[in-house]
Amino acid sequence: MPLPANSVNWAAKVLAVTGKDIISEFRTRFAVNAIVMFALVTLTVISFALGVLQPAAEIMAAMFWIILFFAAMSGLAQAFIKEEESGTALILKLSCDGIVIFFGKFLFNLLLLIVLAILIVPLFIVLLNTTAENWLLFIAGLVLGMIGLSGATTIIAAIVSKASIKGALFTVLSFPILMPLLAAVIEITKIAFIDGRFSDAAAPIQMLIAFDVVMITLSVMLFDFVWRH
Amino acid sequence: MWWKFLIYLVMTAVIVLAFITASPMNPVSSLGGPEVYRIFYFHVPQAWVATIAFLMAIFFSIRFLQTRRMDYDVKASTACRLGLLFSILATISGSIFARMTWGEFWNWSEIREVSIFVLLLIYGGYFAFRSAVSDEQTRAAFSAVLSILFGVSAVFLIFILPRIYPVFSLHPTDSIVNGRISITMSPMVAIIFGLSLVSFTALFLWIYKLSVEIFTLARYRAGER
Amino acid sequence: MLKLEAQNLAKHFGTRKVFDNINISLEAGQSLAVVGPNGSGKTTLLKVIIGLVYPSRGDVTFSKNGRKLEFEQYRKYLSLVAPYFSLYDSLTAGENLRFFAKVSGHVIKRIEQHELLQQVGLEGRGDDFVSSYSTGMKQRLKYAVAMLKRPKILLVDEPGTNLDESGKEMAANLLNRLRDDSIIIIATNDKKEYALAGEFCQLGG
Repeated sequence: MPLPANSVNWAAKVLAVTGKDIISEFRTRFAVNAIVMFALVTLTVISFALGVLQPAAEIMAAMFWIILFFAAMSGLAQAFIKEEESGTALILKLSCDGIVIFFGKFLFNLLLLIVLAILIVPLFIVLLNTTAENWLLFIAGLVLGMIGLSGATTIIAAIVSKASIKGALFTVLSFPILMPLLAAVIEITKIAFIDGRFSDAAAPIQMLIAFDVVMITLSVMLFDFVWRH
Repeated sequence: MWWKFLIYLVMTAVIVLAFITASPMNPVSSLGGPEVYRIFYFHVPQAWVATIAFLMAIFFSIRFLQTRRMDYDVKASTACRLGLLFSILATISGSIFARMTWGEFWNWSEIREVSIFVLLLIYGGYFAFRSAVSDEQTRAAFSAVLSILFGVSAVFLIFILPRIYPVFSLHPTDSIVNGRISITMSPMVAIIFGLSLVSFTALFLWIYKLSVEIFTLARYRAGER
Repeated sequence: MLKLEAQNLAKHFGTRKVFDNINISLEAGQSLAVVGPNGSGKTTLLKVIIGLVYPSRGDVTFSKNGRKLEFEQYRKYLSLVAPYFSLYDSLTAGENLRFFAKVSGHVIKRIEQHELLQQVGLEGRGDDFVSSYSTGMKQRLKYAVAMLKRPKILLVDEPGTNLDESGKEMAANLLNRLRDDSIIIIATNDKKEYALAGEFCQLGG
């Protein structure tokens, strides 16, 4: 895939796309509302259902990522769906290189997830009475997981924006692709909850980094095929 | 034409031999006794064909993206169609086997069961997507991209993930599946298994070729190019 | 020198033939009007030329000084004005202009922004949200965005859409200013707009 001509401005272009989405999102608040509300509702349901039970760390780690995963599924596809539905996709294709769009949307989705995490983590700790013994490990897992979540689903969001029943399709297609990430990240979070050390989580961390790098690279290579339709 | 009869013949032979010869294995841990293991002659080739179909789909997807020729899309989607069929067969035969030997129809700790489940999910998602897009070119291009993404993810799941987790494997004698055939199988078993593998593959390729022809003809009739 | 060539272009959807045997050769300074009744395939032809739709047969080639350009390369020189895309409603006109300029590779100064808006008759409305614009104003803004690139090839599908008399005059002036240095292709079924181009291509009969 050829690099954009003004390579000098490449990063500025990416930030322009992300910035445009942030401003637009700030004014309309579609995606962020969907994601946050979904996460809150899921968290409440889990908290309510568990009642006084205090499940083991493994289960709480899985719960955390269930909330994050489904919240992501409810909102990350918006980045492309709103371009299609508001009719701006065409002029964007004519103005922007695919790779610029990819990273612009990837960063935007990552930002959405970070906002979500900032809101959900404290609530999770409070409502479900769980705390991470190894905070650094927990955050490392969270960050790598969010990078992979956004990175692997950005191209899926672009694919789904051209189909019907977009929301359900987005989840159906993302899940098989994200399975390795979920397995690894739940393991890391579990270890972080029970005060394991980084060395205990070395294997899943390595796999997660490999997954993030591979999926983002692959997405970048394939993105043009999707974007150019 | 002759090879069709050969397939019939060999498969019949395999089925008969599978039941009249001694059971291929007899591990101590089995609940159902050695008879149950006869399913090995059928289950493994099914899983094998499902994997081949998957690899073919990825190959044709890449070729489509390189050349944009619609016949590659027909080949890729047909491979997926048959792959789905054989995956379902493998899941059913595997599940029956699991119930007979280990006592339960499904177990998430067994990595191969997880793998075949993921494969089913992938095929399911693939076809769900295809039915949601009406434009032919778009459908073909996006399906191709999805196949590649699924393929890479499946590689992570099936090969890399098991090295990370201490997942115990209920599947017997992985040595067979890993290819060290000569060590654990008696010659008779090896022959029957080999014949089954070959005839399942031949059957698959035959159905595949027919299906591709049918779908290609259907496209011509509909006026596409 | 930018050159556009199309050979033996044909497009059909299933059994329905949209157009056939289209040959085009255009250089800077030349302009083409694609005319025909509604549904005759004007928009499809434009999309095939741009590269957004694949032709059933034939090919379209953009070349510069003899060297063939790929989509990522000729996209920089190409602008489109058409009724089937929108600009960002939740952004102001100025923000739209600044965004499209930046993403195309150049930063636009306040002065240039004012000038552009003035050229299309939107002066003073730069800080208004596009959602508050009338359809005519949105069309004018599309012309402004198209001019950001100083396009070497401009395609306009239905140039007079939603425009009042002064708007149509504005559009005609814009096209005339570009005429000598660029390739212009318009698609229209309005006879008065034929004069905007030098040559014809009749579709649909």
